[in-house]
Order: sequence, then C-alpha cells, then structure tokens
Amino acid sequence: MDSSHDNPTGHDSHDHPIDFAKAIRTYLMVGGALVFGTIITVFVAYKVDLGDIHLNIALGLLIATVKVSLVALIFMHLNHERGLIYKTLLFTMIFFAAMMFLFCLAYLDPIKDSFFKP
Amino acid sequence: MEIPYTVNARPDTGLYNAKVGIWLFLASEVMLFGGLFSSYVFLRIGADFPWPFHELKVKPGFINTLVLIASSVSVVAAWAAVKARRYGWFQFNMIFTLCCALGFMGIKGYEYFHKFQHYSFEFTDGSVINGHPIHADEKNHGDRIVFGEVKSIVIDLRNSNLEFLEQRREKKGELPYAMPASGDLKFKSPSGKEVVLSKGWLKAQKRKWLDVAGELSRTVTAYEIEKAANKGNDEALAAINAKLDEANKVAIEKAKVEDLTQSLKLDVVGEPLLFLVKESNVAKYGQAELSFKDSTVLQGKLETDAIEFNADLIDLRKNKDAEKALVWKYYPDLKDDFLRHRDEKSDEFKKKYPKRAGTADADPDNLRESLRFEFEVALPEEHAHKLLHDHSMAVSLPRSEKRFYSNFTPALSPYYAIYFLMTGLHGLHVIGGAIVLGWFLITGKKMYRENPEHLANRVEVGGLFWHFVDLVWIFLFPLYYLM
Repeated sequence: MDSSHDNPTGHDSHDHPIDFAKAIRTYLMVGGALVFGTIITVFVAYKVDLGDIHLNIALGLLIATVKVSLVALIFMHLNHERGLIYKTLLFTMIFFAAMMFLFCLAYLDPIKDSFFKP
Repeated sequence: MEIPYTVNARPDTGLYNAKVGIWLFLASEVMLFGGLFSSYVFLRIGADFPWPFHELKVKPGFINTLVLIASSVSVVAAWAAVKARRYGWFQFNMIFTLCCALGFMGIKGYEYFHKFQHYSFEFTDGSVINGHPIHADEKNHGDRIVFGEVKSIVIDLRNSNLEFLEQRREKKGELPYAMPASGDLKFKSPSGKEVVLSKGWLKAQKRKWLDVAGELSRTVTAYEIEKAANKGNDEALAAINAKLDEANKVAIEKAKVEDLTQSLKLDVVGEPLLFLVKESNVAKYGQAELSFKDSTVLQGKLETDAIEFNADLIDLRKNKDAEKALVWKYYPDLKDDFLRHRDEKSDEFKKKYPKRAGTADADPDNLRESLRFEFEVALPEEHAHKLLHDHSMAVSLPRSEKRFYSNFTPALSPYYAIYFLMTGLHGLHVIGGAIVLGWFLITGKKMYRENPEHLANRVEVGGLFWHFVDLVWIFLFPLYYLM
C-alpha cells in the first residue's frame, strides 16, 4: 500500500521530478471519464427503463460510485497512499456502517406500528 | 514556533503532518455528510406524499457537475505544476479553479433565487398549484392580509417593536392600496395625551415603565425588611402596611398619568388606518382583531385574506378524485385540458413502459407525468405565459381553503428541507475551499521561492479537500436532480 516511487504522477516523491505532461494527460483523461459518467447518469435517469424505478436509482448510484472511486484513486492519490491513510479510512467505513445500522433500527421501532393501528 | 514535518515526511507515519491532519478531517466530513445522506434516504423511503423527484431543473445541476469536475482537474494540475516547478501553470490552474468555484456558486445562487420566488399553494383537499403571488403594490395586495378600518392599536409595552407600522398603506381613490404611508401617526392615549407613534417614543415609554416598576419594587422590599424587624409589634406593622398601600397608590397613579401599562390601547386620531400585513408576522386574526407575533393588536375590520396568485402548474397527485378537485373552482376552463393531458400521458406511459403498465395507476413516474399539469408544457406558450404573468389571469385563493402555503424554501417539504440543508452545506464547503486555495495563490510566490515542496504540500492538502467537495456533489447531483 505504500507509495510507489516510480509513479508517473510523482506523488509523495518530492525528491523525484514529476513528469508534468504525463500527469496532466492522466488528469484530463480522468476528467473526461467523469464527464462521460455524468452524461451516462443523466441518460440512465431519463431514457432507460429497467422495469423498476429502484433499479434505475441503483444504477445511477453505481455510476456515481465509479465516478467517486476515480476521484479518490487518481485525484486524491488513494491508488498509492501510505498505510496510515488506509487505516484511517477503514475506521471511517466501520463507523459509517455503524451509523447506517443505527438508522436501520428505525424499522424495528414498535411505536410506529401501534401509532398507525387502531 | 516552527511547525514540524511540513515538508518532509515524519519517520513513523511516512507522511507530512498536514496530510495526516486533512485525512482525519475528511474522515469526520465523511461522517457528517454520510449522516445527512442517510437522513435523505430515510426521509425518502418514509415519505407519505409524492416525493418531488425530477422536479429540479437538470440543466443547472448538470452544468455545476461539469464545473466541479473541471475544477478538480485544475486543482490537481496546479499541484502537479508546483511539483514540476512550473509556477505559471500553477497560477493559471489555481485561477481557473477559483473561477469554477465562483461559477458554481453563481449557478447555485441563481437556482436558490428562483426557488425563493416560486410558491406553492395546497388546498384543503390536497390539490396543489404552483406559481407566485402578485407583488403587493398600489393596485394589488398579493398575499398580504388586508386589515382596514383600524381605529385602535393595542401596544404590548414588554414585547412590541412597532415594526408593523412599515406595513401601513393608504387607500386613495382608484388605487386601493397606495404605497406605505409616510408622516407622523397620531394616537390618543388612555390618559388623553396625543402620542406620535415612533420607536423612540416606545423606547422612552418602556424605560419609564421599568423605572416606576423598579422604584415600587425597591420600596416594597424596604418595607418588607422593616416588617420583618418589627415582627410582633402590631402597631408598627399597621403603620408600615399603610405606607405600603400609599406607595402602591402613588405608583398606580403615576402609571395612569404616564400611560404605563403593559397593554396600552391607543386610539387613532383622524382617518382609520389600513394595513397590508405579511402572514409571517401574524400570530392570529379574525374579523375584528389581528394580533402580530410581537403581541401588538390591531382592532378594525378584516377586508380580505385571499391570495392573488398567478399559477404555472396544477398538481393533483394527492387528490382522491382529480375531477372533483377544489382547484377547478378557480380554473374551470383548464379542467378539460387537464383531463385530456392526464389520459394522453397515461396511455403514453403504458406504451413506453409496457413492463410497468399493469401497475401504472400506482406508478410514481406515471402519476407525475399524468397528474402534474405544467402549463408551460401542456398549454400553448402564450396562454401559459399569461396564466403566470398577467395579473388579470390571477386567481384569488381564500386562506380558508388553504392547507399549506409557502415558497420553495425548507418550510415547503422534507425534500426541500434536506435539499437546502445539503446543498447549502456543500456550498459553504465550496466557499471555504475557495478561500483557502485563493490564499495559497496570493501568498504562494514567496513560499515557492523559499521552499517549493512546502507549497506543493499545501496545495495537495487544499486539493484533497477540494476533491472531497467534488466527491460529495457527485452523489448530490443524481440524488436530488435525477432520482
């Protein structure tokens, strides 16, 4: 997980000069992919019928997740980061999952049922 | 004091300190936005009303997404430029990023402005019309409550602030409501004094009232202490009680002469007054009295509380029977158009989505297409334009038939509440990020000369925050604009 010193973007290697043109090309390509992803998201929302609106929502969120992954991996350099950062993010994910689980407990709330039943 | 490890990596972490710091901060930001996203999901799943999806205009959101993507590319390019020791490119990319931030906030401001100008009126039977009230001017009262024939005003000395005076109008000849009246407002107080109502007068009156009350309180306390000291001495206690009664009498007399009572009724001298009152300022009103939230009461006559409204949409998704909706009382000519539109759209939907045809009557997409009657889409352009902008085409909606009335603000629905909360919070992040990146641009030259790696690290940290802002928007855009 540690940074690779032969990385083309030269991240985390200030003693090594960066290949500026190559880095810019990479960033522009990722930017283009993000624009393409945005267009696809709009297209899926308005033009594609998957038979169930929930499938359309799921597909839209999947595309958004791919876009977010590109930003995180390339722009935020998570494709070659130090271990400490991954550990921090791992704990974030655990806490985030725990928070979502707490929200899910709302479905087990017995008061809601008795409120609606006569 | 020198901050350690701003340039070189700390041996145990392998990272410079600011980078550890920004990632910890971003972790907390994930929790913040994660909580809000999950709130959105649960609001949407539990919504007992038609969830307003596909209602925001996609174009501004789409453009803003492209703007943020472009800024993400430029901010990482700015970092690469410093690493490659190309300061000119760094400056160019940072300026471009800041322009994107400005553009993003400009588009967001445009969206917000239009939302604040747009209103929704829901009838008691669930029919909804959107549009805007006529602006209150010389000829129209718009969505103001018209309260006239005001001969008395009851001021609450503790709470009143006299801001209601700004809502006073004059009724003149052909123009029913002239602009806010200027000049002194004269009243007669209970003691017979002539009072010119102003904030200065109210302040002085409050002070006098507090002085008299304070003086009486001090006197009573002193006599109570005296009474405690003379416990058992009936003669002395009787004398003290007499003094207490006298002090009370003096205070009451002074209050009467100076009109120092919490609830002070003032009678209008001259012509009765007219007010065009904002509903948001009103606590309650009836045919003969109107109470403001600051406890001031107008005594007069309710002339009208109807809202003069130009519409751009009729939405009958909440009605049990669209044909009997209350809205047709006000738009009888549009009923046939609506029914035709409903049937056409429903047939279109079934043909377009054959898999969903069996459940089309409960399908939110079908209901939105067939029961949301957008004038701009369903009517000839000129007709739709007149319905929205021509005052003669405005309808007068009585508040007695109102279930809810608001502009498109967080008050309108849980959807708009969470929309404004999340996009507003995201906008604040954009502003914060832009300020930090702008600071790096302004002060970067000196640092670049002294230690370019230090500047590169700073730009990287600022850039990481900026990418996170972009990342949040990548989820916000589809959730709010597309789904």
